[in-house]
Amino acid sequence: MAAELLMTPYAMDRFMGRLIAEGPVMGPRDRRVQPGFVKFEWLSSADELVLEYTTTTIPPKKAFFPPRQPLFEFELSEPPTITAVQEATPFTLVGVHPCDLAGLSMLDDAYAREPAEACWPAARARARVIGVDCLPDEYCFCFAMNTCNSREGADLFLTPIARGYLVEVLTEAGEEMLRLSDVEDAEDEDRSQAQAFRRDKGNRLSASIDASPEEFAEILETQELGELWREIAGRCYSCGSCNTTCPTCFCFDINDEFDLGLTGGQRVRTWDSCQLQEFALVAGGHNFRRIRWQRVRHRWHRKFLYLYRTFGRPYCTGCGRCSRACTADINIVDVSNEVIARARGRV
Amino acid sequence: MREADSVDVTEDITRFYQPELARVIAKQRLSEMMVMLRLQRASGEMLEHQPGQFLQISLPGYGEAPISFCSSPTRTESFELCVAAVGNLSEAMHELRPGDFVGIRGPYGKGFPLEDLRGRDVLCIAGGIGLAPLRSLINYVADRRAEFGRMILVYGARKPSERLFKDDLANWDAREDFETLYTVDEADEGWTGRTGVATVPLRDEVEIDPTRTTASVVGPPVMYRYVAAELLAKGMAEDDILFSLERRFKCGMGKCGHCQLNDLYVCQDGPVFRYTQLIGRSEAIEVWAPEDERQ
Repeated sequence: MAAELLMTPYAMDRFMGRLIAEGPVMGPRDRRVQPGFVKFEWLSSADELVLEYTTTTIPPKKAFFPPRQPLFEFELSEPPTITAVQEATPFTLVGVHPCDLAGLSMLDDAYAREPAEACWPAARARARVIGVDCLPDEYCFCFAMNTCNSREGADLFLTPIARGYLVEVLTEAGEEMLRLSDVEDAEDEDRSQAQAFRRDKGNRLSASIDASPEEFAEILETQELGELWREIAGRCYSCGSCNTTCPTCFCFDINDEFDLGLTGGQRVRTWDSCQLQEFALVAGGHNFRRIRWQRVRHRWHRKFLYLYRTFGRPYCTGCGRCSRACTADINIVDVSNEVIARARGRV
Repeated sequence: MREADSVDVTEDITRFYQPELARVIAKQRLSEMMVMLRLQRASGEMLEHQPGQFLQISLPGYGEAPISFCSSPTRTESFELCVAAVGNLSEAMHELRPGDFVGIRGPYGKGFPLEDLRGRDVLCIAGGIGLAPLRSLINYVADRRAEFGRMILVYGARKPSERLFKDDLANWDAREDFETLYTVDEADEGWTGRTGVATVPLRDEVEIDPTRTTASVVGPPVMYRYVAAELLAKGMAEDDILFSLERRFKCGMGKCGHCQLNDLYVCQDGPVFRYTQLIGRSEAIEVWAPEDERQ
């Protein structure tokens, strides 16, 4: 069992202030023009941090895999020169919910699969992570995805209690961080309040997937559900919002951008979306997922079948972001349960 | 804010994405659409590749694209790539001149399984620009002729003017130990050979011992299902039929997602696949019927 300590709200404020003074800190804070909407952003002061929030639109993977990331700079000399863009500054990522901790861990596995990608683990190695527990809304289904109590990759984990936060010290880096803080020993009452918080969280989670990950994968693998995919695709706009808000999507595009002087520029990696029609386009104009329902089906197969088989768990954290973001109200829980119901109805 | 200590970055974290430099040593126009570039690494070192593998080639500012090797690894001093002018990058590559630099990454992917092909009859079926990757295999067989059984090439081009590697085609045709069957879809005035799609001479003129033969097929997606049917009709096993698939690889290392074929990454698991690997995978070679095109 990890060490558990108490941090009062006042101590938390001082701790965050010291962390920010020490180096860059990214954490949830209000959008400046839209209070009440929380996003992960670099913090300039401790009072910007919003530790109790429901969710963010964009998951914290962006701290390690930015939506737009220069890979190297080039100059069109003879021969051309190429200079790597290397970020080396350590930073702290604060306020990560359990489902998002699981999402980061899934991307650790995905990018580490041989041949391993190097940008992601290098960015992860620069960062300390402080998780925080949360209460769900009606879109959350982390319990069904078995991520609601994840501590994966967290150095410290906070649970809100009456006297402030119960702090779980999970790694040496977490312990080291606490030299900046004024923590006290937790008492039994603090621990039982944290347990009560987790129970309350579990009780509030109403959305659930009606099959085990294995049964769901088998259904997707063996059942031809073309009619259902066509129905869902009939509402989909192929906007890609489900991909850009997903904590486990990791596909990307690579393009060159010239500087205004046209003598040099950058090669840039950007997030990409399998829901866009040109994603699977190949030479000669052939496209194996040209039709919308093929792309919608691909998203479910990838999350709940292909990557489940490769890595041993569904590549869905139950965060519900795709359902919240969908302008056509395509809800990942509803669709998954409809798939399961139709498959069972046939047998 | 206190200046943070830097993390010691001893390894180059973007190395996967960074090309090395190579030099154009020759350029040859093959058709209106196609040029062949002969390249050499700027380091002078050999680039070891297998027939069927691909390379990421780039021009800074224009971007990067995957291209299959069209030269045999037996010819070690340089390597060749065939580039069709289809976009900004490939059109810029058509303007390259000897001495110019390009960026390269690779080789990537699983090529033709040479160890399994050794000692067997090699049947190559090429459609259109699919001849480019097969030329790498065919010239490998030509250079190590004794290690292989029969060498049969069926090649279909759309028009005589679109035929690639005309010198190679003539050389292969002239060899006693090569069997060549060339066809075009539309003849012109000078064409005296076969007309029609490649599956016709494959069906009517090619006799094989299916137990000794491995077929290597590269062409447009629409071709695969018809060729597969002919090969199966000749008694071949699905495991002895190799298909090389083309996708728009962005990374080449199974991460960017662009080449996903159901659960496979073409850049890692292919691009050369046994037919057995593709059966049951709907995104491999399926051609969607018109009534399916309604969205």
